[in-house]
Amino acid sequence: MQLNLKSLFWNGIFVLVLLSICWLIYASGKRIDYNWNWERVVPYIATNAESSINAPEDGEIVLAANNQLVLENLSGDVIVELGNYSSLNVYEGDLIFEGDTLASIEEWRMGPILHGVITTVKISAWSLVFALVLGLFIGLMRISSNPALKKLSIVYIELIRGTPLLVQIFIVYFFIGTVLDLERFTAGVISLSVFTSAYVAEIVRSGIQSIPKGQMEAARSLGMNYPKAMMYVILPQAFKQTLPPLAGQFINLIKDSSLVSVISITDLTKAGREVVSGSFAPFEVWFTVAALYLILTSGLSWAIQALEKKLSASD
Amino acid sequence: MKNIIRAEKVNKIYPNGCHALKDVSVNVDKGEVIVIVGPSGSGKSTFLRTLNQLETISSGAIEIDGIDMYARSTDINKLRQDVGMVFQGFNLFPHKTALGNVMLAPLKVANRPHSEVKKDAENLLNKVGLADRQTNYPNHLSGGQQQRVAIARALAMTPNIMLFDEPTSALDPEMVGEVLDVMKDLAKEGMTMVVVTHEMGFAKEVADRVMFMEDGELIVSDTPENFFDAPSNPRLQKFLSKVL
Repeated sequence: MQLNLKSLFWNGIFVLVLLSICWLIYASGKRIDYNWNWERVVPYIATNAESSINAPEDGEIVLAANNQLVLENLSGDVIVELGNYSSLNVYEGDLIFEGDTLASIEEWRMGPILHGVITTVKISAWSLVFALVLGLFIGLMRISSNPALKKLSIVYIELIRGTPLLVQIFIVYFFIGTVLDLERFTAGVISLSVFTSAYVAEIVRSGIQSIPKGQMEAARSLGMNYPKAMMYVILPQAFKQTLPPLAGQFINLIKDSSLVSVISITDLTKAGREVVSGSFAPFEVWFTVAALYLILTSGLSWAIQALEKKLSASD
Repeated sequence: MKNIIRAEKVNKIYPNGCHALKDVSVNVDKGEVIVIVGPSGSGKSTFLRTLNQLETISSGAIEIDGIDMYARSTDINKLRQDVGMVFQGFNLFPHKTALGNVMLAPLKVANRPHSEVKKDAENLLNKVGLADRQTNYPNHLSGGQQQRVAIARALAMTPNIMLFDEPTSALDPEMVGEVLDVMKDLAKEGMTMVVVTHEMGFAKEVADRVMFMEDGELIVSDTPENFFDAPSNPRLQKFLSKVL
């Protein structure tokens, strides 16, 4: 009972502190004479406003065989079928020029911010996979007894960790991207995965080195060669050990992905910047963007915790 | 009879200059049980580990079943499948169940079919008295049980030789017996065994020959009767007076 009261008291303190921080933010928001307009952000996330269907090229509206209106171009091919739209702006026999409004439609569409979220998720997911594979190899090279492999990996790790990610993105996009003719997205994935892999390599190395030497000896004494012993005995154990630091690194990866906006990839951050200039609601937009990043990172962190829990069956 | 293990003038010098093995020569016949005793730091574990090349040697020669371990053409991974090893610290794979530990090498090294491997592994666990512990993870087993799983794991590759590196030293006293019993059964079945241990009772009862090592030298190699009851070497006498 005594203990219960005490924990209740301190939990109360915790809630109180959080509430007062929220109040402070709210109060300072009031002080600066800023017109908070949260509803202005919503259409940029998702909207069901009417959108118009425009003619892709010149043509004529004709009645097709199934008694539906279609747009035919000048050579007589059907390019837009209008039967599915409820509100039509054109009639049979109308002459249509490129860009004319044919019909309007009301449906839920993703706004630029959600498109940004998708780009951020895509770029982070690709980079995560490549960073993991690359980091594993560099990490294995790092513990190799072969001096060439070992020194190459040390140079790689030091070089990548010793330079800022922003600079690396510029180098990959403007130099390597020009030489190899890379797309923006590819350049973004390359720079993010190369950067993260250097950290993953160090995590992998420490994970492998934390496995007792006897494990390798036992595996080898059963006749396994080095790669098999690594694959079936050492790495599964090391993987479990390295999950918490890997989770941290991958959360960093998601956040670092915001830097690719400098090479004009419309990720969540760049979408946020664009929406600010359209909506004139910078505070609301940036808070929304922050919340969306938080959802992404906590989702990943939750997934890794679930995996950790699953792997702890043997503890 | 042909020697199944032949070690000739084996020397081991560590990079720091420590001379761990000095001209150790041992021949073991098929089915023989050799027990090596000696004070700690005498090189007995090092010698045992040279027999499956967990330690490399500086000079000398080792032949297992007539195959020169250090010949260029020798596949050490192949040779190791013929030499099972049991460690002082068990070294079970903690991410695998007892059954998984025993099955791993036959599945991944010998590439045998899963159902067959599983049946053999169950038989092996049954043999070491752990039929009801198949699905337990090593961390949920007692030390004695873990060591018995480790023995089953080493037997899974059907080796001709078993090496035991102080298999009972890390065990609580009440669990030493169960492990030694499994080893005695193995010896009765005619397994060739080299055992490094401090269990003098086991040496007396099971060994065909007992060897005494000190300071990297093999000093005495004799039958258990002569070794324990009529030791002639003064250094052995001194050692025995301490441990018996």
